[in-house]
Amino acid sequence: MSAIALPAVTVPELKAEAVHEGEILVLCLTGTADMRASEALERVLAQVHTEAQRLGVAQVRVDLRALEFMNSSCLKAFVTWISNVRDAPGEQRYSIHFMSRPEILWQRRSLHALRCFAVDLITVES
Amino acid sequence: MTAFELQFRPSATLIQVVRRFVFDFYEGVLDDPDTVARVALATHELLENAVKYSLDGATELSLGIEEGEGGTREVALRLRNRAAASDVEALTALFAEMDQYPDPYAHYQAAMERGARRRTGSGLGIVRVRAEGEMCMKCSVEGDKVLIEARTQVEPRREA
Repeated sequence: MSAIALPAVTVPELKAEAVHEGEILVLCLTGTADMRASEALERVLAQVHTEAQRLGVAQVRVDLRALEFMNSSCLKAFVTWISNVRDAPGEQRYSIHFMSRPEILWQRRSLHALRCFAVDLITVES
Repeated sequence: MTAFELQFRPSATLIQVVRRFVFDFYEGVLDDPDTVARVALATHELLENAVKYSLDGATELSLGIEEGEGGTREVALRLRNRAAASDVEALTALFAEMDQYPDPYAHYQAAMERGARRRTGSGLGIVRVRAEGEMCMKCSVEGDKVLIEARTQVEPRREA
């Protein structure tokens, strides 16, 4: 398992870490993703996309189990990323798997909405 | 009567504080964790909207449990602030667009498609409140004063 270098997230409320192993890249988000974090999250997701395509992974797993809250600007960062994956040529496309916690109730609704946005790409685990 | 009102200049830090307070408060009042989470989400999104678009930063937030149509009980969330004419116009257009989408999730998906290509702003906040928050939304404008009201039906456990 090797760590992926991500753009620095200078917002203390949000922590982002990524690792790569075989055909899987895992992005782990911890804390709160609100208006302070949206630009940093956009950069993180852009880098994850670049690395996922460079490494030729089959799946990116996004671990949200320790993410207390995500606002609409950060949700939009995910929408842009998912849209970029969806629009990529077949060989550069990968699936996205969200790992969530049922007790964090916004996650169920937000991830349902994201899954509807790209139903062929996204799976959700709770 | 279970209600409170805050008059303040919200910042990102304060919004987080208020969201957590609203969550904790309604967790103690309502026997419905899903509604509690939805009200907290709506509070956060509408306050962030106020930070972005308020003319002077001043914002009034009120939350209460009220009687709705047909004797139902509802959480009513109201947010008042002043906004520039261009922002009022955009907000009015967004609320008019809601009428074109009786299904809030269809509107949400359309906003996501649009949002994916936006350079600034998400365009998702209020649409998300309506869809994920399962809120009935209203907007009224008087000059540069904007009032957004979001309501959702609940079964209260007890009155505080």
